[in-house]
Amino acid sequence: MRMDQELPLYIQNLTFRYHRRNTPSITNINLEVKPGELLLIAGTSGCGKTTLLRCINGLAPRVYSGDLTGEIAIFGKSVQQLSMSELSQQVGTLLQDPERQIVSSHVFNEVAFGLENLAVPRQRIIYRVEETLEYLKISHLRDRETFSLSGGEKQKVALAGILVMQPKILLLDEPLASLDPVSAADALQMFRKLADDGITIIMVEHRVEDVLAIHPDRVMYMEDGQVIYSGDPQGMLDTIEINRVKLPAEVVVKRLTPGSFPSICPPAPPTDPRELVRFDHVNFRYKPESDLVLKDVNFSVRQGDIIAILGPNGAGKTTLVKHAIGLLKPTRGTVFLEGKPTQQLSVAQAAATLGYVFQSPSQMLFAPTVQEELEFGPKNLKHPPEQIQQNVDWALKSVNLLHERKSPPLALSFGQQKRVSIAAILAMRSRILMMDEPTTGQDYWNYLSFMDAIIQMPGFDAILFITHDLDLALIYSNRILLFKDGQIMADGRPEEVLSDTELLRSTHVLPTSLLRLNLELLPRTGRFMRAEALVNYL
Amino acid sequence: MLVSFSYRPRHSFIERFDPRARWIMSLALLFSIVLFWDIRILSFFFVLSILQVFLARLTWQETRRAWLFILVLSTMMILVNTIITGGGTIGGVISGGKPLLQFQLKIPVTGWIIHYVLTRERVWFALAQFLRIISIGSLFLVIPFTMDPRKYGVTFRGIGLPDKLAFTMDLAFRFIPTLARDFQITLDAQRARGYEVEKIEGNLFTRIRRMAPLFVPVTMNAILAGEDITNAMDLRCFGLKKRTWVESLKYQEIDYLMIGISILILVGSLLLRFVFHTGDFWFPM
Repeated sequence: MRMDQELPLYIQNLTFRYHRRNTPSITNINLEVKPGELLLIAGTSGCGKTTLLRCINGLAPRVYSGDLTGEIAIFGKSVQQLSMSELSQQVGTLLQDPERQIVSSHVFNEVAFGLENLAVPRQRIIYRVEETLEYLKISHLRDRETFSLSGGEKQKVALAGILVMQPKILLLDEPLASLDPVSAADALQMFRKLADDGITIIMVEHRVEDVLAIHPDRVMYMEDGQVIYSGDPQGMLDTIEINRVKLPAEVVVKRLTPGSFPSICPPAPPTDPRELVRFDHVNFRYKPESDLVLKDVNFSVRQGDIIAILGPNGAGKTTLVKHAIGLLKPTRGTVFLEGKPTQQLSVAQAAATLGYVFQSPSQMLFAPTVQEELEFGPKNLKHPPEQIQQNVDWALKSVNLLHERKSPPLALSFGQQKRVSIAAILAMRSRILMMDEPTTGQDYWNYLSFMDAIIQMPGFDAILFITHDLDLALIYSNRILLFKDGQIMADGRPEEVLSDTELLRSTHVLPTSLLRLNLELLPRTGRFMRAEALVNYL
Repeated sequence: MLVSFSYRPRHSFIERFDPRARWIMSLALLFSIVLFWDIRILSFFFVLSILQVFLARLTWQETRRAWLFILVLSTMMILVNTIITGGGTIGGVISGGKPLLQFQLKIPVTGWIIHYVLTRERVWFALAQFLRIISIGSLFLVIPFTMDPRKYGVTFRGIGLPDKLAFTMDLAFRFIPTLARDFQITLDAQRARGYEVEKIEGNLFTRIRRMAPLFVPVTMNAILAGEDITNAMDLRCFGLKKRTWVESLKYQEIDYLMIGISILILVGSLLLRFVFHTGDFWFPM
């Protein structure tokens, strides 16, 4: 082993196999990282990124037992020989979901937690907590309750709780996953600053395009536990397979030849569409004393609409769609579902026409088998048994899960669970489909394939989806609702709404490379499309 | 639904005391109250407890649900324990006694005859029990509304619990609102699938089974979140050594006074009960 005291991280021939698995999760990893270097590790889900992080921060094999071979050294000392308290002052880890790593009810106490555990004297803790809060520019959050913070704020607080322990290496596990584009851009700038200030950063993330904006010094691409590429960012863009991770649109079009990809695009709405849902001067507040969450919202969903609802976190997007199915009733104004005010409908009655897929599948899956999970909704709606069986079969086929019919939904992978949760709504044969963040936690490859499948599915009068992913809206919708502060800021065809740069800036929507390329080519294409299709117009 | 812990600073008299002193006071009074069935002594504790509620500046609106809960619970206990079955649990109520109300009930089919007598003694016993429950209830009802959740951990540490156990109290405060929110989301998600919790019928087991769509996801989520939380805590060295508590507590004179009085009351109660043998069930002749 090389005894380089200067090198923050040195990994040689690292292989790790969990005891409960038969095959290693990562094989033969070699890596050297210099001080202040920002390394991006990209790859599809299940590629071994998380296992690699666990080997570096010591959770594997300390908490996750398994066989580790090869060497990992932090500043020349083997990770296995360091105690957990020594290790945690060298390596800080930001877990994927900030919500699940905040342990205290208040910000100040949360940041102090690690130092308390290290038995640092009280006055010293207070000084360092305040210093760290100031460094991250979140001193104003000091006495707030952690529960009431926004996603971006939560992440900064979690990060403060790690930085306060003054680690030399920072591990970030998909730090952008739960953030809206503006918070994500903000977080990325912060990571850049940390690296510039000398902290070594190892970031696992599949939103490659976003991370490239802060110029990582090096990129590593993994598949099936092995390193496929390691080197400068440009080299990765030229090497890895398109559609595995999301690459900048310019790169995609440069690498493809015209006509190589079939283009799936949203169908145009019919000329004389039926009105399905109508919001009529809808105001809503959660409690009499709280602020309005929806402010005089007016719009209709018509037959053939595929609506993407865009807007920053906390804008009221979820509150809006919950009104359509009657889970929330307007404080003032009326929501009509097929002409009937939702006040006169029970949620169960509304559910017969309108299916609503919640953001996280784990919040609704409960049945012992996929088959029973799918029967749950139709049975509640009192569909006849033979019809239920038919619809369940159809739904399973639509999401490509026929072979998992007898499996327990909770034992499936996250991506499969997400598909089960969609199938559970499909089986109810609702004619309007609403989805809240259908693509979170899915890698690029997976979400493209199931969005393709949904768009092509027959039987829906209209589809609505809430998303942070501008490209998703751009590719799949034929109408965009821009939402901010409880109000509709814009409503129209994607080509109209998204070409207004001033409007996008004021609603915190960050243009992507795909949008820029589409706008450039719009005179020739006439409408927005995915990068693979744009190739034909270059 | 879940109890929401609605602490906010109220600048009340009771908040000027150290939380440790308040816990010691509450526990001392609790142990004293359970010694007695004599309504005259219980009235003294009742007044103390209610006094605390007023000194804490609690309003009816915010405490309404907690009070209703205590009232329903005490009414049920009293009905079962004293009014219906009679006697109570300590055998303090002499059988017989002066009847206030009596009637006979013949159950159809079986032909069983129920002879029901409500005696004066039972009514007084019910009253004593009511006073006990309300005193204890209001003693502890004040705590979540007036004690800063940040101080729970260090308070329990200060009373003598080990670090790990004491910190668990802090964790609980962190997760109650999250759990309540997750429950609401799951309820909404299932309602969107046509599930109607109001319409659950059948016997106990059927009902429990039909609640599975709510409890399975909430429990599974809590378990999954638990894994992340323990990782996050391990990575930040929880439980490796004796920890510092950044929240600090300092006894003032009034705290010593409160602890002193509380101990006096407890010792006095013990003396009354076990040396002077007073405080048994009592009613006016």
